[in-house]
Amino acid sequence: MDIIHNLSLGISVALSLQNLLYALAGCIIGTLIGVLPGIGPVATIAMLLPITFHLPPTAALIMLAGIYYGAQYGGSTTSILVNLPGEASSVVTCIDGYQMARRGRAGAALSISAVGSFFAGTIGTIVIVLFATPLTQMAQKFGPADYCALMVLGLMAAIVLANGSVLKAIAMVLLGLLFGLVGTDVNTGAQRFTFEVAELSDGIDFAPIAMGLFGITEIILNFERRLQRSGAVKVGSLWPTMDEVRRAWPAVLRGTGLGSILGVLPGGGPTLGAFSAYMLEKKISRNPGAFGKGAVEGVAGPESANNAAAQTSFIPMLTLGIPSNAVMALMVGAMIIQGIQPGPEVMTKNPELFWGMVASMWIGNCMLVIINLPLIGIWVKLLTVPYRFLAPAILLFCSIGAYSLQNSSFHIMQVAAFGVLGYIFARLGCEGAPFLLGLVLGPQLEEYFRRAMLLSRGDPLVFIQRPISLSLLLAAAALLVLMILPSLRQARNEAFQEEET
Amino acid sequence: MSRLLGKDFLAGLMFIGFGAGALWFARHLPIGTAMRMGPGYVPHALAYLLLVLGFVIAAIALIYPGERCEGPRWKPLGTVTIAIVCFALLFEAAGMLPALVALVLISSWGGGEFNTLEVTANIAVLTLLCVVVFKLGLGMNVSIVAGIG
Repeated sequence: MDIIHNLSLGISVALSLQNLLYALAGCIIGTLIGVLPGIGPVATIAMLLPITFHLPPTAALIMLAGIYYGAQYGGSTTSILVNLPGEASSVVTCIDGYQMARRGRAGAALSISAVGSFFAGTIGTIVIVLFATPLTQMAQKFGPADYCALMVLGLMAAIVLANGSVLKAIAMVLLGLLFGLVGTDVNTGAQRFTFEVAELSDGIDFAPIAMGLFGITEIILNFERRLQRSGAVKVGSLWPTMDEVRRAWPAVLRGTGLGSILGVLPGGGPTLGAFSAYMLEKKISRNPGAFGKGAVEGVAGPESANNAAAQTSFIPMLTLGIPSNAVMALMVGAMIIQGIQPGPEVMTKNPELFWGMVASMWIGNCMLVIINLPLIGIWVKLLTVPYRFLAPAILLFCSIGAYSLQNSSFHIMQVAAFGVLGYIFARLGCEGAPFLLGLVLGPQLEEYFRRAMLLSRGDPLVFIQRPISLSLLLAAAALLVLMILPSLRQARNEAFQEEET
Repeated sequence: MSRLLGKDFLAGLMFIGFGAGALWFARHLPIGTAMRMGPGYVPHALAYLLLVLGFVIAAIALIYPGERCEGPRWKPLGTVTIAIVCFALLFEAAGMLPALVALVLISSWGGGEFNTLEVTANIAVLTLLCVVVFKLGLGMNVSIVAGIG
């Protein structure tokens, strides 16, 4: 059995002392930034990218993955205890989680969300194991035109899920693609948009850009808003009552299923999963009036869904090399820094990396249950650290991290410049995530596009003559049409409004 | 007048600006043919698409005015940016410690509530952390104070 052989390889890699320690480090950092509002996994992973350069590839990716799904666990703690979402994906948990906490059931809400997340994480990992091999085999049949079409589909999905105007999201993707072209053209050696700056001729480093757009901009905006903390409520007993368990477990199952599916979709991810799960629970509940007043299903469903989606969103990245959200774009960047070309070849060329990472996800989920339940007291204390201590620390780590990329102050300046640009984007209501995806995919997209056109002797019809490419492009077109249909547009706007409140 | 200060109109202008800028700086790059694309093919294509989209976004914003764009608040934006730039200038020239002190001082001031005791404590903790993590842990080749060690 191939799967068993692969899994045992993965488990043996993941259980090495070094990888266990990095998984633990990732989970702890993830929980930490999940608990702290004002800093998310995108900014953190961008900040730590330069450090991962010093680590072996498997350890680096295991740690970064741990940060991502660790943040899903930590985010729920803040939502439940202080009614502030620690992470975007925990926004809906605030609604019923905080109400449960006010009724003295904070402990039960925390343990249900942790156990639900663990269950969802386990299923999500199994989904990765089952689907990775067939998808990779399919991807090996892809030609350049098919890759182009796949990336177009990925970018289209990023547009659909961006908040606000569709046209602006498309323009942000194009702008990201344009920034991705900076540097030396690989085919001709021509300098493009380098302005005779030596540091730019290798291409624009995207770690400083991500730090600037997501880390620095966030700090500036938080300074403007004067981020305030409300006092945390008492945790109480961690044990749920029989009635709570009876109501929670079907919601956990539904949330896991929905989250697993939505995570795989390009552009999907934890936030979408959590939000959809909440809507689903409310819709099928026999007692919808209880939602918003501390319904345990409203905690169990979304919390399971966001963790399931966090796991399965690795699938397109690991098998096809196509990131489905901003965090996955950074994971692609981490692989490139390590000299690994993301795509279907990762599984055949670096099986220890691939299966080690998958196995470590399950181990990491086990660690997270322990980190988040018995040790909950530590995280509650951390919630009292004021933002005015954190902000300078984040700035400092971003700056040193950027410097250590190539020991050059130029990269620190880049962080500052993209912080300002990110601020302008935020003020103009333009989202950073489509930009980042465009930036990461830009060089590959151009490369495959040029190769496809060369093979077809300049005939653009190649994109609709190949069945794989045609179906991917049709899917992308369908997404765009769905966006323009008024009824769906309204649903999407409602979804985002609810998310913001 | 208020239409010209709408978020969407200004965003449209920004995209037009980037598109025009890209066209200007890519002007010397050969475009080539669809079969053998030169280095300028894709940049030109993207720049034209951005220009068109920018005009469409700006035009729609003029017809259906939307949300007004809030003006920037200069203190947080300025202090955070200046803090990072100072850090970049001081880091190699003067060493880690002076750069760190400048960054924490400027950014703490920008964040509002400035308490000398708190900021000093923050500087002490962060210095210790940076020396342990970056200098001892990762073996980064940078002096703590230039000329001393």
